[in-house]
Amino acid sequence: MRSAQEQLIHMVNQIGENNQQGGIESAATFTSEHMKKFWARSMKEDIINYLKSGGHGLSETSIAAIKKL
Amino acid sequence: MLEYYNPSKDLGTPAILSEILINIEIDGKSISVAEGTSVMRAASLHDINIPKLCATDSLEPFGSCRLCAVQIEGRRGYPASCTTPVAEGMKITTETEKLAKLRRNVMELYISDHPLDCLTCPANGDCELQDMAGAVGLREVRYGFSGANHLDVEKDHSNPYFSFDPSKCIVCSRCVRACEEVQGTYALTIDGRGFDSKVVAGTDQDFIDSDCVSCGACVQACPTSTLMEKSVIDQGQPEHSIVTTCAYCGVGCSFEAQMKGDQVIRMVPYKGGAANQGHSCVKGRFAFGYATHKDRIKEPMIRDSIDQPWRVVSWDEAFTFAAAKIHKIQAKHGRESVGGITSSRCTNEETYLVQKLIRSAFGNNNTDTCARVCHSPTGFGLKTTLGESAGTQTFESIRKTDCIVVIGANPTDAHPVFGSLMRRRLREGASLIVLDPRDIDLLATPHLKRAIHLQLRPGTNVAIVNALAHVIVTENLLDEDFIAKRCATAAFESWKAFISLDKNSPESTESITGVPAQKVKDAARLYANAGNGAIFYGLGVTEHSQGSTMVMGIANLALATGNLGREGVGVNPLRGQNNVQGSCDMGSFPHELPGYQHVGIKAVRDKFEAAWKVKIDHEPGLRIPNMFDAAINGTFKGLYVQGEDIAQSDPNTQHVERALRALDCLIVQDIFLNETAKFAHVLLPGATFLEKDGTFTNAERRINRVRKVMPPLAGLADWEVTMGLSKALGYEMNYDHPSEIMDEIAQLTPSFSGVSYEKLEQLGSIQWPCNDEHPLGTPTMHVTDFPIGKGNFAVTEFIPTLERSSRRLPLLLTTGRILSQYNVGAQTRRTPNMTWHDEDILEVHPHDAQERGINDGDWLGITSRAGHTVLRAKISERMQPGVVYTTFHHPGSGANVITTDNSDWATNCPEYKVTAVQVEKVTQPSRWQQEFQASDKRQKGFLNKRTRHTADNL
Ligand code: SF4
Ligand code: SF4
Ligand code: SF4
Ligand code: FES
Repeated sequence: MRSAQEQLIHMVNQIGENNQQGGIESAATFTSEHMKKFWARSMKEDIINYLKSGGHGLSETSIAAIKKL
Repeated sequence: MLEYYNPSKDLGTPAILSEILINIEIDGKSISVAEGTSVMRAASLHDINIPKLCATDSLEPFGSCRLCAVQIEGRRGYPASCTTPVAEGMKITTETEKLAKLRRNVMELYISDHPLDCLTCPANGDCELQDMAGAVGLREVRYGFSGANHLDVEKDHSNPYFSFDPSKCIVCSRCVRACEEVQGTYALTIDGRGFDSKVVAGTDQDFIDSDCVSCGACVQACPTSTLMEKSVIDQGQPEHSIVTTCAYCGVGCSFEAQMKGDQVIRMVPYKGGAANQGHSCVKGRFAFGYATHKDRIKEPMIRDSIDQPWRVVSWDEAFTFAAAKIHKIQAKHGRESVGGITSSRCTNEETYLVQKLIRSAFGNNNTDTCARVCHSPTGFGLKTTLGESAGTQTFESIRKTDCIVVIGANPTDAHPVFGSLMRRRLREGASLIVLDPRDIDLLATPHLKRAIHLQLRPGTNVAIVNALAHVIVTENLLDEDFIAKRCATAAFESWKAFISLDKNSPESTESITGVPAQKVKDAARLYANAGNGAIFYGLGVTEHSQGSTMVMGIANLALATGNLGREGVGVNPLRGQNNVQGSCDMGSFPHELPGYQHVGIKAVRDKFEAAWKVKIDHEPGLRIPNMFDAAINGTFKGLYVQGEDIAQSDPNTQHVERALRALDCLIVQDIFLNETAKFAHVLLPGATFLEKDGTFTNAERRINRVRKVMPPLAGLADWEVTMGLSKALGYEMNYDHPSEIMDEIAQLTPSFSGVSYEKLEQLGSIQWPCNDEHPLGTPTMHVTDFPIGKGNFAVTEFIPTLERSSRRLPLLLTTGRILSQYNVGAQTRRTPNMTWHDEDILEVHPHDAQERGINDGDWLGITSRAGHTVLRAKISERMQPGVVYTTFHHPGSGANVITTDNSDWATNCPEYKVTAVQVEKVTQPSRWQQEFQASDKRQKGFLNKRTRHTADNL
């Protein structure tokens, strides 16, 4: 089973993966907007910090999306 | 909308849906009625009450008793008024010397074979035979009782709720017809002819061994005491009644709670209830005994640690204790370290107050509800495509449906009264398409004409909905006109291009879904060409990693075929619990205030801040699974749970238990010591639906009144408890009655602006939106436009779930419900409904069973990557090989010990419906089950050993 951090990584990747129809840039925008709209402040902070610390396991879309937060 | 029943009077035969009026004369009175109406109904509508026995207005007339004979000018003989339709110019006489004699003769024959024990009969005072004997003036019975009769026939007490006493039977066949026409089960027949004819359950079995599902329709239809509730036999006739709403499933049936003082004697489905029109299922009709069960928590209790016995305290002490703990946590860990869960079982008003408490007194948006784990993808998916998070129709609308599509739902078990209405429409000729890994009972509807079962592999919903859409697009079955007028063009064009791709064709998806391409094509054509196609779906759609995508895929189908915006069509989520719709509407989600108004929008916050006089956080809060993760991480420390059992109902039980153990303060408000309460520090007694006023909103968006029929056992209704807690937390709320809470909801929620208790009294129920534009509510949504303007096609790429079968875990487990039990079972397990389902079992296909040497009744160990549990086996061909199935009504089964942490990409709704497992024979319960038993015993001990302390020695 995933740790809380692994779960966050999985969640952001999953949003991106499910919305690839317009290409990576549009998927990243969608993912970022989705996080803004539905994720709690602490979750957004955690994923931003995770990216800063290397972001291992984050998809290309996720990385672009987190940067837009 | 047409009133099918007059709730206060039995008009003898059902209403007719005709607008053509016919003029007749009855007993010299000129009358106009709808063409096709019976003479009996026409007369009754004008207060001319013709005696009757075999007729009742919930059933088609049968014409067997002849008591309702009348004379019609120009016609020979004495036609039965129940089976004679009116004709233009007809002149009818209902009372003559001759008719009186005829009726007396009929009654005399009935009474000569009927025990004359009226004074000791349980139906005394509520018996139509007695009434009719009086009405026809029966004074003597010439035949005596010495001849052949049925007075000594044995009674059948096998059903836990009603008895069958054939000695009282007049063979009117109302029960048989009720079982066929109203319930659709066909469990009863009339066996034999003439004097030998009798009512038989199944193949002359006891009721309990027959196909009877204990809905009570026959009991209600029976004019005598032959079929009678045991509660009435034991306690006598009720003396007053109050109309209220069932607290079980999302159908929201109206009931008359028939009372003696403050004791419920029986619940009788209310004919004036728009959702159920006089029908019921075994749960709402009979399983209300939990309300007075000895396990009810009747006193507030507290403890410092979950390893201690409970201490009984006053309400105020409990509130002060809880508030102090919450304040201490927030002081140490911050404002966002606490949160709450609202209940989809409590009323709208109560749910509204809990989220208000969280947003005001806790000062954050960490509020969520159990809809998270069931229908949150409905909210996301329907809002994205159609602009509103709700079903589009009334239940009644199905009477105009030509093709019924059921996806991932099992209505005859989970929404039984609506299931019966579906069956009625199927008997009338509508076709049926079922998308489900399991063979559901609806497919076995007697007299079903045409059905297609797309028996897909669990986890492949989106692939199949895309394949259906592919056929509709490529075979040009689109409703071009509807799309041009009502849908956004760019979104449609990109969807069309996507869905036309070969990867979405039935041939390409066949290897993914396991459904033959031809069947998919047949189904797509059937739905698209039907005229009126209506889709109904359940948790088999939402509880997947692509739950939201699938909801959008369903909306795409309806948009593409123009099946929206009128009666008989639509997209209809079947809601699980009584108030799932309401709890979502009331702002339970962490990102939305009541009425789905996003917390990020300043104008919305301004409005609520002005009314509530607090500052509202503009960021969404944590959802339930996020709360668990945060608790395990040590950043989330306090939780207030009203009327939910997250420890049993949420997936990956061991993870949930770890999270609950990590909390410093868990406040549980519930009617029982449920699984979650075993981890609690504060236990606040809840009240059942019988003990409070309020409203529930059913799956049709119908707001129904819940009325208090007895005082709360612990002294306070749930809304009062939340007010008490809020006050102790420093945020005072002042309401004297739930109607005042509704007034506040109406003031702040545009879709509820026209709702008030006064209007609910006038109209009976209201389907939101109810506002200036729709002052009487909105039975059918999206008639002229969508809340987002144009319908929005969404591209629905199929992404397979990570949960796949492998060599180690070769089978896929899926879960569902059973008729007699309700969700976590806390209520139904405390009623005689246990007669039907006293344990959860694992259904295994014979092929998989044979491979593993499994027989019926064997103990099976079920292992997933999340955990291990043990259930007994039942060999069943309802699923395909490779798929196993269980229910989740008993906590000790540990069904959720094996479900995983996968969830819907958009909403985190857990993927309950697909878990890769291995199954093998074992000899003992799993370790989790053994620990569960031990902890259950310990916690019940803490409850039994509870002590009483005053504030001084706290
Ligand atoms: S209780 Fe319902 S299912 Fe059972 S025999 Fe009566 S009508 Fe049929
Ligand atoms: S059991 Fe009741 S309803 Fe059924 S035939 Fe006998 S009297 Fe009529
Ligand atoms: S169908 Fe649902 S609402 Fe109606 S009686 Fe049964 S459980 Fe209650
Ligand atoms: S009531 Fe009409 S025949 Fe029985």
